[in-house]
Amino acid sequence: MGVGGREASISLDGVRDKNVMQLKKLNTALFPIRYNDKYYSDAISSGDFTRLAYYSDICVGSIACRLEKKEGRAIRVYIMTLGVLAPYRGLGIGTKLLNHALDLCVKQGISEIYLHVQTNNEDAINFYKKFRFEITDTIKNYYTNIVPPDCYVLTRSFSPPQTKK
Amino acid sequence: MGSSLPPKEANLFKLIVKSYETKQYKKGLKAADSILKKFPEHGETLSMKGLTLNCMDRKTEAYELVRQGLKNDLKSHVCWHVYGLLYRSDREYREAIKCYRNALRIDPDNIEILRDLSLLQAQMRDLTGFVETRQQLLTLKPNHRMNWIGFAVSHHLNSNPSKAIDILEAYEGTLEEDHPPENERCEHGEMLLYKISLLEECGFLDKALSELHNKEIKIVDKLACKEQEVSLLVKLGRFDEGGQLYRLLLSVNPDNYRYYEGLQKCCGLYRDDGHYSSDEIDRLENLYLSLAEQYSRSSTVKRIPLDFLQGDKFCDAATKYIRPLLSKGVPSLFSDLSSLYNHPGKAEILEKIFLEIEDSVRKSGQYPGREEREPPSTLMWTLFLLAQHYDRRGRYDDALSKIDEAIEHTPTVIDLYSVKGRILKHAGDLAAAAALADEARCMDLADRYINSECVKRMLQADQVALAEKTAVLFTKDGDQHNNLHDMQCMWYELASGESYYRQNDLGRALKKFLAVEKHYADITEDQFDFHSYCLRKMTLRAYVEMLKFQDRLHSHSCFHKAAIGAIRCYLKLFDSPLKSSAEEDDETSKLLPSQKKKLRQKQRKAEARAKKEAEVKNVESNSSNVSKSGKKHIKPVDPDPHGEKLLQVEDPLSEASKYLKLLQKNSADSVETHILAFEVNMRKQKILLAFQAVKQLIRLDPESPDTHRCLIRFFHHMGSLPPPMIDSEKLIRTVLDIERPEISQLHEKSLLEANEFFLHKHEDSLMHRAAAAEMLLLLEPGNKAKAIKLIEDSTNNMVSRKGNNGSVVEWKLKDCISVHKLLETVFLDKDAASRWKLRCAEYFHYSTYFGGRCSSAVPSSSYCQISKNPINGGSSLPGGGISLDYVASNGNLEGFKDLVI
Repeated sequence: MGVGGREASISLDGVRDKNVMQLKKLNTALFPIRYNDKYYSDAISSGDFTRLAYYSDICVGSIACRLEKKEGRAIRVYIMTLGVLAPYRGLGIGTKLLNHALDLCVKQGISEIYLHVQTNNEDAINFYKKFRFEITDTIKNYYTNIVPPDCYVLTRSFSPPQTKK
Repeated sequence: MGSSLPPKEANLFKLIVKSYETKQYKKGLKAADSILKKFPEHGETLSMKGLTLNCMDRKTEAYELVRQGLKNDLKSHVCWHVYGLLYRSDREYREAIKCYRNALRIDPDNIEILRDLSLLQAQMRDLTGFVETRQQLLTLKPNHRMNWIGFAVSHHLNSNPSKAIDILEAYEGTLEEDHPPENERCEHGEMLLYKISLLEECGFLDKALSELHNKEIKIVDKLACKEQEVSLLVKLGRFDEGGQLYRLLLSVNPDNYRYYEGLQKCCGLYRDDGHYSSDEIDRLENLYLSLAEQYSRSSTVKRIPLDFLQGDKFCDAATKYIRPLLSKGVPSLFSDLSSLYNHPGKAEILEKIFLEIEDSVRKSGQYPGREEREPPSTLMWTLFLLAQHYDRRGRYDDALSKIDEAIEHTPTVIDLYSVKGRILKHAGDLAAAAALADEARCMDLADRYINSECVKRMLQADQVALAEKTAVLFTKDGDQHNNLHDMQCMWYELASGESYYRQNDLGRALKKFLAVEKHYADITEDQFDFHSYCLRKMTLRAYVEMLKFQDRLHSHSCFHKAAIGAIRCYLKLFDSPLKSSAEEDDETSKLLPSQKKKLRQKQRKAEARAKKEAEVKNVESNSSNVSKSGKKHIKPVDPDPHGEKLLQVEDPLSEASKYLKLLQKNSADSVETHILAFEVNMRKQKILLAFQAVKQLIRLDPESPDTHRCLIRFFHHMGSLPPPMIDSEKLIRTVLDIERPEISQLHEKSLLEANEFFLHKHEDSLMHRAAAAEMLLLLEPGNKAKAIKLIEDSTNNMVSRKGNNGSVVEWKLKDCISVHKLLETVFLDKDAASRWKLRCAEYFHYSTYFGGRCSSAVPSSSYCQISKNPINGGSSLPGGGISLDYVASNGNLEGFKDLVI
């Protein structure tokens, strides 16, 4: 603990049946969408990819991922949601969450991680670009209830792992 | 033993005894049977066979055989001893003692029987008998350590501690110089500490202290030794040494409140009432400043000064105390501070501190006058603290607005939802409180505490079925709530009993209340094993303390509540008895014969169905038991799960009296006890006992509305009785004629005048007015309108507190509800009751009882709608694209509209 206890620690923890409500509470506060049960079962079965972020024991943010099968046996990761409660932004918590997922991709030899973002959400687009995500596609009329209805697909590809010669 | 048998059979008999001791019951049974083949009338063998069968769960056979054996050989101490053991195993200690005594008459020096007898005497607190038996044991075997110790303890328990000291010293005299050996050091040290505590108890303080100093090296428990020493020093008035020793103890544990209290006493700075002169406060402040430097990591040393500091100094110290805890995020901060709300003036200062912090942190993210930025969570914790503050002050609107803001700020903190539930409970919306507690529970399904809190809230809202389901989530194998009974989970049984009582399900309520009573019987039982264990292990101080605790066991609050609950049930049962079968027949006789037949068929079918269901259940539970433990373990099935049999008591009042006696013995200073004593004895026509209850009430609280009610009702009842005919009645009258002038409330006044006097004395208090009105109705039923007017003319003053804008109405929700019930059930005036309800709905707009406009009982209130979505999710970084369908909101009772109220 820092001087006067002011340096709060940030830690990550997994999502299980017992604490999935924390993720629901975060999503209710963060996104104008009520996610269905499949979202939560995908998140739990993605294992280590889905994390809750704790700011000195308070749950303040999350990254929720889904593992998708590509052709063959390859797997890619889809980031369903990434968010941090407003008062706790700017403390590096989102970065920590995203880095966690990216590191895990590298460790597990996963070639691709991607997500959807609304075309006017510049803050988000810039944020992901810092992590070497690139716009790889645009989908028209992706959203049904918000304007603009279009979204970009942001993808980060990892070079195939170096094999020993 | 077995002496009358030929050698071969005598050996077999020894085998039975050995098999019994080593729990090889089958082997023992075989041996017994082969003796009985030749000597079918042999008493001791019959007895031993019975005892063996007793251990194999064949109780009835066991009793038959043991009794038969005894009949055949009345002169055998073995038969008597076995009979005693049988009774002991069934916890029939009085009978067991009789059997042992008979056994000893035949064989007075039998060590085993004497030892068994002494254990029973300790259990039954037959202390003179205990001393005798212990003395005999010591005389027979003086080389046994346990016999010395047992004899000493018996004298101590028999209120003769100085004799106990003599015995222990005599025992020490028998020991070698190099005693104790390495493996007995703990035991010996405990014995020494016990002896020193006895010396202290007798007031031989100097001797105790010198003994302690002489033997210090042999005492293993160093901390207990120091604590004993400091206690002696303080009692001897040697405060300097005492103070030094307390400082030493504080360096070991700087968070022990008792050490601080002791140090204050040694410095001459301690008062029980906590009121200090300004000079004393200065000195205390300096003392704690220096201590805080020494023990910088102790939170106790920082917290205690808040108790004695006043005014500006309190404000400074409290600010310094609170800020770091808010930064760190300590959810228990409010309960840590809550005792300060009993000190005059401090609540206002705390409010000022909280509001200043809130304002500053909200605007700049910093504490007033500080440079460092606070973490974002500080604002949330401050709002959390403020919400609890307003709740404590009865300002529920303010409390709810603060807690809602906190939830909006950080919707993931579970404590926020629990506290919101608590505020709603205080404000009178129990259903909403339960819903909030359930929301908190869902956020961490692995937390037993919030699960339990939720169960309690559900029971308070009378959602018993839901509560049961929720409670079972945390019992082993999800077994029915029987498991909660096995775990002696009393808060659950009490809350559930109270809920059933409110719902007028007296059978189930009684069932729960009596279950709690049963736990206390079990706790009394549980001490039995310790009578031998503690003497052997020498944990004598703890043992004696445990016995003293057991002696006042029934004064514990859970028992108190359970007994009160049970007595209330019995009173209700007496006032409105169940329909007897004869009366029911009477009702059916009004029906046509064909209808009767149908009804009877229906009943028979229902009975058959219920029986079948119960059987299936039994089979199921048994089979599951078999599969789990491998061998058959049948749990006894409760023959009366809903307490229906409990309702069929012959005489509810005599049942009530049983529990009343325990209350009178153990909770004599509780007003509740004597109110119930009054109610029970009035119904039993026990005039003098009822009068005694009235006198006890006058002793405890002469001005309380309940005392007034009982007093007036009592003398009104006496006045309505016909003139006494028999001597005993005349005697009662004489007693009352002598006693009545002694009661200052009555003196020479008529009851009506006394009632009038009482009213004028307390005309500003709602509850006193209601009591006076009720008594007016009793004394002069024709004056009903006047009586109701008395209640309706009561004024509810706004209590405004200096230093803030918020003000609170004076009346308590609980009181207003009881006034409403009074109007409804005693005055039987629907109009007045609904006028009262309307009026109270204005004061308590969260109350479901009064249908307040903000309560969940009103369909248009905010708690039944899904209110606006909190706007704390402004510019997040959305990822996935799943269609938007529904917006819920945290903490605003999502889905609560589905609940039926």
